[in-house]
Amino acid sequence: MAKVLVVEDDKDLNTAYTLILEHDGHQVTPTYNGQEALKAIKTSDPDLILLDLLMPVMGGLEFLQNYELKKKHPNVKVLIFTNMENSPEVNEAYKLGAHRCIIKSWTAPQNLSRVIKDALNESQPEQPEGLA
Amino acid sequence: MATNQHDTKMRSASEERAQANALFNSIGDGIIATDEFGKITRVNPAALHMLGYREKDLLGKWFPSAIVVLGEQGEPIGLIDRPITRAFLLGMPISERNYFLRKDGSKLPVSVTVSPIIHKGRPTGAVEVFRDVSAELEIDRMKSEFISLASHQLRTPLSAVKTYTHMLLDGYMGETTPEQRRTLSTIVSATNRMNELISTLLNITRIESGNIAVTPKLVNIAKLCDEVLREHAHAARDKGIKVAFKSTGATSTRTDALIAKEIISNLISNAIKYTPEEGTIGVRVGKHGKRLIICVEDSGIGIPDEAREKIFTKFFRAANVVKRETTGTGLGLYLVKGLAEQLGGDIWFESEENKGSSFYFALPV
Repeated sequence: MAKVLVVEDDKDLNTAYTLILEHDGHQVTPTYNGQEALKAIKTSDPDLILLDLLMPVMGGLEFLQNYELKKKHPNVKVLIFTNMENSPEVNEAYKLGAHRCIIKSWTAPQNLSRVIKDALNESQPEQPEGLA
Repeated sequence: MATNQHDTKMRSASEERAQANALFNSIGDGIIATDEFGKITRVNPAALHMLGYREKDLLGKWFPSAIVVLGEQGEPIGLIDRPITRAFLLGMPISERNYFLRKDGSKLPVSVTVSPIIHKGRPTGAVEVFRDVSAELEIDRMKSEFISLASHQLRTPLSAVKTYTHMLLDGYMGETTPEQRRTLSTIVSATNRMNELISTLLNITRIESGNIAVTPKLVNIAKLCDEVLREHAHAARDKGIKVAFKSTGATSTRTDALIAKEIISNLISNAIKYTPEEGTIGVRVGKHGKRLIICVEDSGIGIPDEAREKIFTKFFRAANVVKRETTGTGLGLYLVKGLAEQLGGDIWFESEENKGSSFYFALPV
C-alpha cells in the first residue's frame, strides 16, 4: 500500500490515525510536529502526508512553506487534518499546495480510510470535491 | 434704562454663545458641521484630535473631499453612498460604522451618525458626530480569537473520543456485542451533538466578525449531498424515516466544500429532527438557470405562520418546536443563512404547519 507520514501533536489522535492506517495496510511514520516531520522526509519518501495545522515547535503552515518539502517532494499529497474549519489558516494551507482539508472531529475511521484511498487515487490537483 | 436693558440682553446673548461654544468644544465625540453645500462650518477639538487635522485644514473645505471615508475592506466610499449624502437625501439621521482616513494616512474606525440640520422645513446643513471604536474592534477581535482557540482546544479531545469510539464500533479492536454497539453509538451521537454546538458557535463568531474564510474549489454538490445523507442515515433509520435522493444534470460548481456541506448537513439534520417517525424526506439537486438549487423537503411538523418572519433570526425557536424539543439552540438556521450568504447563495423555504417544509439552498454556478 502507501507510505503515509502522520504529523499530529495530539498523542491520542496520532496513535488512532496510525492504528487505522496500519490496519488498512499502509506503512506509517508518526511524527508530532513540523520539525520532526521535516527530519522524517529527509530519509523517507511518503506518498501522502496527513498534517495537523496547530502544533507546537513547528505548525502545519510553516511545514508546508519549507523549501526542503517543495524541492524534494513536489508531488506528495498533503491532507490537512484540523478542527479549524473555515479559518484563514485553511485558506493559506490550500494556497501552499494542500490537497484537501478534513475536519478531525467529523471524521470516523472508515471515512478516514476512504479519504486516504481517494487522495492516493486522485491524480489531478483539483477534482470535484464531494467529500470534505 | 433702555440702554441698560439692551446691554444686559447683549451680555446674556454673548454669554449664551460662549457657553454653547464651551459645550461644543468640550464634547468628547468628534463633531463636524457643514452647510447645505457640504462645506465645513465647524469642527470641535475632539474631531481635530482624532483626525490629526488643524482647524484651518478643514474649515470652509468641501466635507466629502476633506475627509475620506473608507468601508470595511478599506475601499473608498463614493459620494452617493456616504452617510452625509444619504442623510441629506433622506432628510433623516443615518448611523453606521466605517473608517475615516486621518491626515497621516492611517485609518480610524468610527461609529458615525449624520443628521440633517432642518431649518424652516428644509435642510440647511448637516452635523456629523463620530466616536473612535478602535477599542471595541480590538475587544471583538480578541473575543473571536478566544472563541476560536477555545473551540479548537475543546474539539481535540472530542475528536479523540469520537475516533476511538468509532474504532471500537467498527471492529478495529475485535468483535463487540449488540448491546456494546448500542452504548458506543450513544457516545458517538453525544460527541456529534457537542461537535455541532462548538462548530455552530465558532462559525457564528467568524461570520459576525467578518473572519470566515471561503475557499472556492470545484465541488460536485450531488456527491456532497449523498455524503451528508450517508452520515445522517443512522439517525433517519432510527426514526423509520424514508429518505429519497434525486439529482438531475451536471451538479458541479465552484464553491467552498466545507461551508456548503455544513449548510446541507444542517438542513438535512433539521428535516430528520422535525419529521415524526415513519415520515419521509426528499433531497433534490438540479440546475435552474444560473443557479444550482438543493431542496430538502420533509413531511414534518412545519413552520407556523407567525414564525415565518423570524425563522432565520438568532436564537429564534418556533412555538411548535419548543413543545417537542428542549435541546435546540435556535442558531442553526441563523448560521445556515449567514453561511449561504458567504457563498453568494441564498436560502428560503415553503412550509405548512403539520404537513411539512421545503428548504431551498441556491448556489451560483
